[in-house]
Amino acid sequence: MTSPLADSSRTVLHLHRLGRRRAGRAAVQDLSLNLQAGQVMGLLGVNGAGKSTTLSMIAGALRPDSGDIRLNGEDFLEHPELARTQIGWLPERAPVWAELTVDEHLDAHGRLRGLSGAALREARTAIIERLELQPLARRLAGVLSQGQRQRLGLACALLHRPALLVLDEPANALDPVQVAALRTLIREQAASSTAVILSTHLLAEVTAVCDRVAILHEGTLRHDGAVHADDHAALEKTFFGIAMNGSTESARAA
Amino acid sequence: MSHAFMHTAAVTQLEWRRLLVRPLAWVLAALTLAWLAWNFTLLLGSFLAGQVQRAALPDGPGFIDLVGVPLLAQLAQLAFLVVPLLTMSTLAGERRNGTLPLLFAAGVPAWRIVLGKYLAVLGWLLLWLALTLAMPLALMHATHFDWGKLAAATLGLALMLAALAAVGVACSAFASHPALAAAAALVIALALWSVNLGAQMAGANGGVINWLAMSTHLQPLLRGLVSSADIVWFALLAVLALALATRRLAADKERN
Repeated sequence: MTSPLADSSRTVLHLHRLGRRRAGRAAVQDLSLNLQAGQVMGLLGVNGAGKSTTLSMIAGALRPDSGDIRLNGEDFLEHPELARTQIGWLPERAPVWAELTVDEHLDAHGRLRGLSGAALREARTAIIERLELQPLARRLAGVLSQGQRQRLGLACALLHRPALLVLDEPANALDPVQVAALRTLIREQAASSTAVILSTHLLAEVTAVCDRVAILHEGTLRHDGAVHADDHAALEKTFFGIAMNGSTESARAA
Repeated sequence: MSHAFMHTAAVTQLEWRRLLVRPLAWVLAALTLAWLAWNFTLLLGSFLAGQVQRAALPDGPGFIDLVGVPLLAQLAQLAFLVVPLLTMSTLAGERRNGTLPLLFAAGVPAWRIVLGKYLAVLGWLLLWLALTLAMPLALMHATHFDWGKLAAATLGLALMLAALAAVGVACSAFASHPALAAAAALVIALALWSVNLGAQMAGANGGVINWLAMSTHLQPLLRGLVSSADIVWFALLAVLALALATRRLAADKERN
């Protein structure tokens, strides 16, 4: 939930009529939304709704065919280098360089994000401690379980303290204890004014940590509104209304 | 330090680390250096055996002609196999593992990814060349050394390795699988080497077809003749290959 301390008046992310075709069809079209500092937005949608494509474009890994992305007021498409310091991204399935240890991963990500020397060492130590990665620090990423990879991916995304955190299915393969820890972490990030956008299949995840939800269906934004912890039934009705009928009628009724 | 330099250095360091951890790089280094060391002893034995006869010739071939350059020529032959194997995973492997988007998402432009990876592979290859050179250099106080000829041959080998590495990285950028990248790099390297075979068999020693062949530009350097035209040929090939790799990689961000 948004912290009262969060600088909620500052728009961190602004998407305007974003569009992208993939495999001959419109994966995302006419997507417009804003995300404020300290806000946690859940991105929901059935498989193929365009969630990962949207997040890849926001993270700078994929270029949109149309539309604008503004990051802290600056044109992200004109200045893709903004991703270096301002965005932390955990992609779906958390890909890793199998030959590198957890420590080396963090070093590599830190250097790619412009950290070096003492600043890099401090950031690495802090994130290893925060995500309790000490026992894995010298282990090769290639032998980690999927849940451990997710935690490593999350550590890499947070290492440089980005203004925008983009999480694609972050709870994948995590056990219930780790899911609870992830929720706490997301809340902490929001409290320190980081804007968080998280894609998930789990409605409970959205009601537990998000203060806003956007629902994508067939590449278009069908619902964008506030969500509260006790809104699970209403969110379920909205989501299934959109997913099953492809319309926003149920959303409006909810 | 500029962002461009830091980014490129970070990619180089990452690729270098991955190369050192992978068994393939060590196996290739061990096998090829053992092979070269064995050949060095054979060449040296043959050189020592013919020393008395050569003493009668005022301008007879020396240690560099009979041992140093032939050893480097063998390294050149091995490079046709080693370079494609070393470069095959640079970009095709990243694409296959899904780690390429991590580099894009760190704001690293395609040209810096390509350059960073190229420099890492080139570093390994130059180390390989240096270790090979250490064999004849170990005898520099025991025999007469034609330093000029050795320097020219070393330059030729370095240029050849640089060009082949660029071709390998480009093939890796275009291929969907590392094995395909290795096969393509091998075929292109062999084609570049032997494109003028037919023309030479027909007795033609000039023309575009001969200019295109890598052998036309390496052989003078191995004989000790340094020409800027040959250096430019290798540089052009490397730049062209890296430019193509960059273009293909940038398209990944647009297309995928």
